[in-house]
Amino acid sequence: MKASVRKNVILLFLATLITFVFLAPNLWMLFGSFKNQNAMFALPPVWIPDFTYIKNFTIMLSESYRYLINSIIVTICSTIVSLIFSLPTAFGLTFFKFKGRYFLADWILSTRMLPPVAAAVPLFILFKYLNLLDSLFALIIVYTAFNIPFAVWVSASFFKKIPIDLIEASRIEGASWFHIFLKIALPLSKGGIATVAIFVFIFSWNEFLIALFFTVSESRTFPIFISAQVSQAQIIWGNVAAATVIQSIPPILLTIFLQKNIVSGLTLGAVKN
Amino acid sequence: MLSEKIQKLLFILPTCLFLLIISIFPFLYSVYLSFFQAKLTKMHKKFFIGWENYYVLLFEDDVFPTAIKNTFVIAFSSITIEIILGFIMAKIFFEIRHIKFSNTLRTITIMPIMLTPLCVGLVFLYILNPTLGIFSYILETVFGIEPFAYLGLSLPAKISVIAINSWQWTPFMMILLLAGLMTVPNEQYEAAKIDGANWFHVMTKIEIPSILSFVLLGIVLRLIDCIRLFDIIYITTRGGPGISTEVMAFFTYRTEFRSFQIGSGSASAVIILIISLIVTTIAVTLLRRVEKNEGLS
Repeated sequence: MKASVRKNVILLFLATLITFVFLAPNLWMLFGSFKNQNAMFALPPVWIPDFTYIKNFTIMLSESYRYLINSIIVTICSTIVSLIFSLPTAFGLTFFKFKGRYFLADWILSTRMLPPVAAAVPLFILFKYLNLLDSLFALIIVYTAFNIPFAVWVSASFFKKIPIDLIEASRIEGASWFHIFLKIALPLSKGGIATVAIFVFIFSWNEFLIALFFTVSESRTFPIFISAQVSQAQIIWGNVAAATVIQSIPPILLTIFLQKNIVSGLTLGAVKN
Repeated sequence: MLSEKIQKLLFILPTCLFLLIISIFPFLYSVYLSFFQAKLTKMHKKFFIGWENYYVLLFEDDVFPTAIKNTFVIAFSSITIEIILGFIMAKIFFEIRHIKFSNTLRTITIMPIMLTPLCVGLVFLYILNPTLGIFSYILETVFGIEPFAYLGLSLPAKISVIAINSWQWTPFMMILLLAGLMTVPNEQYEAAKIDGANWFHVMTKIEIPSILSFVLLGIVLRLIDCIRLFDIIYITTRGGPGISTEVMAFFTYRTEFRSFQIGSGSASAVIILIISLIVTTIAVTLLRRVEKNEGLS
């Protein structure tokens, strides 16, 4: 008995150590966001900063609120549009028996794996031609397209959990597919849909490459604004830290909600909880 | 009421059309552009040059072959580290899964996965800064090593990129392998105990074989990520010093949007695309297989 308790204590200690390794860098950045330029360069380092010093945040927010709003608009819109396209398709791929549906599902999945950098120039030319370059609309469209494959696959993995008898019984009663989709499938998969929405939200929020290619001034997203802070000759680290903290808040909060579904989501529904 | 067929089409067709326009067309157009000599700023003046862009990139360019090599060096080192550390971490968390507090620890540990890659790069840029970074301070006070520009020297820069990449993704491998360990039937552990097997036997004879498909899945998914590695490079090293951390995606970006050589840039994009397609084919097959077996190998 004693031996097993000791084993648990040692393992718990190791687990805490591991947790520290993955927490400390972020925590250090968080502390940095409360430091003024003097505290930043102090030697030995200021371990615990003055948490009432919030000037870094106020400076960053007043300079960048436009880009922050851009990020929020693009993220929310592309999340909603992705779901509007993906949920019916996932439903169809799960319940309609037609030839080539496995091929279609694989094809949709494979578009997810394509490297975005290979699509950047053609999309740039396309949107330039349509005069939509440097617009939030273009970003929303592209983010939606990049997220649809993920959303279709993961939603399908949730729809598969619905008992097929339930669907067939409604069919026999003469319910239309729309009715079954809206009144049966969606309510039964609420949790799953929320999971998909959170993932898509984070993916869009984190996106950098396409925004870097497409946005010049007006439609810059928050990550682009942050990266511009680092390109300056004199980096004001307190400001950069504050901006990084702001950018990190949504993913960190949302990860807490995802917890149990995170493996399932990141393997596109292949691994069950 | 709409006919059965039209109803079904309405469910599936819009998505397919959308993907065709925004996902498939661009990739085909990249292939087309890769056979031209073209500048992004003077699109109307492009002319056909056949395989020239590919030939130059693969056999005459000083940078692109290095970019391919670096991409794979970074990918293989990161993934190896992620699997080894991920497995050890999974094992530790697996053993203490009945202790409630371990759930909290696990949640904190997996945070880096969902963080904006750009921010992860910035966090380490801050830590590794030679004048104000905490890493320099620890290195100097504890080990007496003089600070130097870690990202300004070839090997330390490469190691830093690999470390940053692994730091973000080892937690993913951990929870993936943890999910794998959960599928090992309890009876197998009991049987091993009765047979008097030691931990090494349990690991090599029971655990590793049962999580093998999870490991493979992890490798393939991470390989796809590593091939498109961009954000971290952009914010930390910009491919430098020299070309020592130049990777394929960053090379493509520089060629297309810094030198405006979209013919040559597209050729490089197409090469990334082909490598991705090969990995993707394996990935899709694997995902289907893992899914069919309900996560069991």
